[in-house]
Amino acid sequence: MVVNSLTFLWFFLVVMAVYYLCQPKKQVQNIFLLVCSYWFYAQIDVKMTGLLGVLTLAFWLMGHGIGKAIEKEKERQASLLTTLSVAVGIGALFYFKYLDFFIGSFVAAANLIGLHLSWTTLHLVVPVGLSFFTFKLMSYTLDIYHGKIERERNVLDFANYIAFFPTILSGPIDRPKPFLKQLKQSRLFIPDNLMSGFRRVLWGMFMKMCIADRLDLYVSAVWNNYEHHSASSILFASLLYPFQMYADFSGYSEMAIGVALMLGFKVAENFKRPFFTINIAQYWSRWHMTLTSWLTDYVFMPLNIKLRDWGTNGTIAAIMLNMTFIGMWHGADWTFFLFGIYHGLWYIPLMVSGQFFKKTKIKVNSHGWPTSPFVMKMVGNYLVVTFGLMLFHSNNISEFWDVLCRLPQAWNGSLFFDMPTLANAAICSIALIYVDIQEEWFPKKRLYLPTWAERWRWELTVAVEIVAILLFGIFDSNQFIYFQF
Amino acid sequence: MKKLLLHILIVACLFFLFDRSLGLGLKFLYSQSNATDEYKISYSNATTRDSVLFFGSSRTLHHYVPSIFEKELGLSCYNAADWGIKNIYYHYGQLSNILTRYTPKAIVFEIHPCDWLETPFSGKERAGALAPYCGMSDGCDEMLKLSGKYWPCLLSTVYRYSGSLPNLLTGKLGAMDRSLKGWKPMDGILDTTGLVAEEYPFPVDQERVALLERFISTCQQHHIQLVFVESPMYLCSAQDVFQFPRDLAAKHNLTFLDHYRDSDFVGHAELFYDFGHLNRKGAELYSRKLSKELRIE
Repeated sequence: MVVNSLTFLWFFLVVMAVYYLCQPKKQVQNIFLLVCSYWFYAQIDVKMTGLLGVLTLAFWLMGHGIGKAIEKEKERQASLLTTLSVAVGIGALFYFKYLDFFIGSFVAAANLIGLHLSWTTLHLVVPVGLSFFTFKLMSYTLDIYHGKIERERNVLDFANYIAFFPTILSGPIDRPKPFLKQLKQSRLFIPDNLMSGFRRVLWGMFMKMCIADRLDLYVSAVWNNYEHHSASSILFASLLYPFQMYADFSGYSEMAIGVALMLGFKVAENFKRPFFTINIAQYWSRWHMTLTSWLTDYVFMPLNIKLRDWGTNGTIAAIMLNMTFIGMWHGADWTFFLFGIYHGLWYIPLMVSGQFFKKTKIKVNSHGWPTSPFVMKMVGNYLVVTFGLMLFHSNNISEFWDVLCRLPQAWNGSLFFDMPTLANAAICSIALIYVDIQEEWFPKKRLYLPTWAERWRWELTVAVEIVAILLFGIFDSNQFIYFQF
Repeated sequence: MKKLLLHILIVACLFFLFDRSLGLGLKFLYSQSNATDEYKISYSNATTRDSVLFFGSSRTLHHYVPSIFEKELGLSCYNAADWGIKNIYYHYGQLSNILTRYTPKAIVFEIHPCDWLETPFSGKERAGALAPYCGMSDGCDEMLKLSGKYWPCLLSTVYRYSGSLPNLLTGKLGAMDRSLKGWKPMDGILDTTGLVAEEYPFPVDQERVALLERFISTCQQHHIQLVFVESPMYLCSAQDVFQFPRDLAAKHNLTFLDHYRDSDFVGHAELFYDFGHLNRKGAELYSRKLSKELRIE
């Protein structure tokens, strides 16, 4: 069941109606929400619903143990249980997501040195949303251990936090504290929440169906047949891919945030106009923000503290490891490993020059627009991201290498230009870029409407967005890119 | 709650207003468009009154030259095929639409494996191209229902033209030369490197077979002479791909003119644009050959 499908619409309408009928009984609302979340998950991955339940229960018990140990000042016991919880979380990730990859890589490496091993891979199916919910599980026990939260006494509330259906498939990776706090209050029927949430859902649908899916037609046509395409076509498709990814994943996040808001929950923002940045550090602070902040808090910071005796070298090592984790979080392949390393390398000049620790603000001219040197830096940063995403898009290292090798060989061919697809995507992209520019540099300025129309701004915007989705959208598209993670 | 319902009501009214007014504009642009997809669908469904119609997929679009057939048969002809691997779901809806306006004398149908096999690359969704003609005929609506587009098309006029706006805005500059009567020639010669024959390892789809039978019986009820044809490929499949239509034609006493393995064309790269499509020269040569064999009574 995809969030932008008719099936989801029916599901959500029923959920919302019953959910608000249960108000103000928060416990009834929470039980109903949990049932719906598990039902939703079962529709997508029924076999793994048990795993989700078992892991949730295990982490709740471990969190319970950690909390009790802290209360009784048994530091060693708390530390052991926290280590165990992290081991279980990483173990689940490793088993389902990385074991096959490591077996395959080990056998290939052994073959290279003449050892012929007959190990076979297990062909495990990765549970949907595994990378997202294991991170939530681990942050719960780690936060209890670090004293950021208290143990959650109600297992149902904890299960709700983990399985919350708008975010379980592709995030945002919410932290336990703000979410669990919201579960303790009754969610009342507030029309404003519904209206704002619905607008965010529509905007997300627009980004996904009108931009990401349209661009995907072109990008996939070129990338999936790169051996028959010219260098200019490959480069053009590569340049479009970061924007496609942004519209796809940010579109999903908008929908998830909107659906959550309609149910009375505020979940973390995941994107903040990531291409209006001038270096890779700024980019990662605005792209998949909940993943970046998770890894910063639980990987980079502890590592940086551990390696502080090494000075800048220690920070660089911590960053490189952190970025490698970010890369590998996306998938089990050497392309993702290199994707992480590649991004980590771009941090080194920032570290050496001291820019990493500074907050560089983009200078604007008297009209409020960024100055040309900063625009150039933004373009440069986009190109850096593009190259990284070429690795990300490749199925394996040899495909990436083939694409790179094709570039100097295929300069003579003409640019593949699918006019209708690109024109549709361009019209909608202009709308997205306009909105992003406005939010970034002119947040107080709103699109002018005559006084009579101002009163109906929400209604007008919603009606126009629905018509735009119907006019430009693709309705039989594939899944979201980030579902595979 | 009342306030929220009022907001929803206003959105519904505004949506209806925007959708219907924009839909009207798009409908007009669609009927005027010269862009290949829009022109072919709109002209064949809503305008043509020619005696002989050519039905089929992109191979038909590029292979059948109406002017050559007109000279030989002494009847007006129109190439009503469209690209995009259209199949029997589309053809049946198209025939139903045409029959609401007039009855052609003959239909020359280049049958494709996707008309009877469960081809994953061409299924019910192909009938979605008929969305602008939702409501024109029962057959068309039935095919739209199968494609899943019928109810959205009823709810929204704009949805019928989804994704067509750039084509419609530049429609007058489109690539179709109307004097060619629906034929779209391709200029160029096939590059033969790395070519392999196209195979169809798919099971027979009973729903498509039933539709093919309905297509035949509809033609028979309207006294339309139906002829099955198959044009040449550069490389032929090892299987006897066209045994099914051959049997079907025999069962219904129809003519089947099979040039799939015609040695005058197979292996002649100079007559092909790509492995499955004849170029201008090949199409003219093939049309001349077929027009001499075709007997329209």
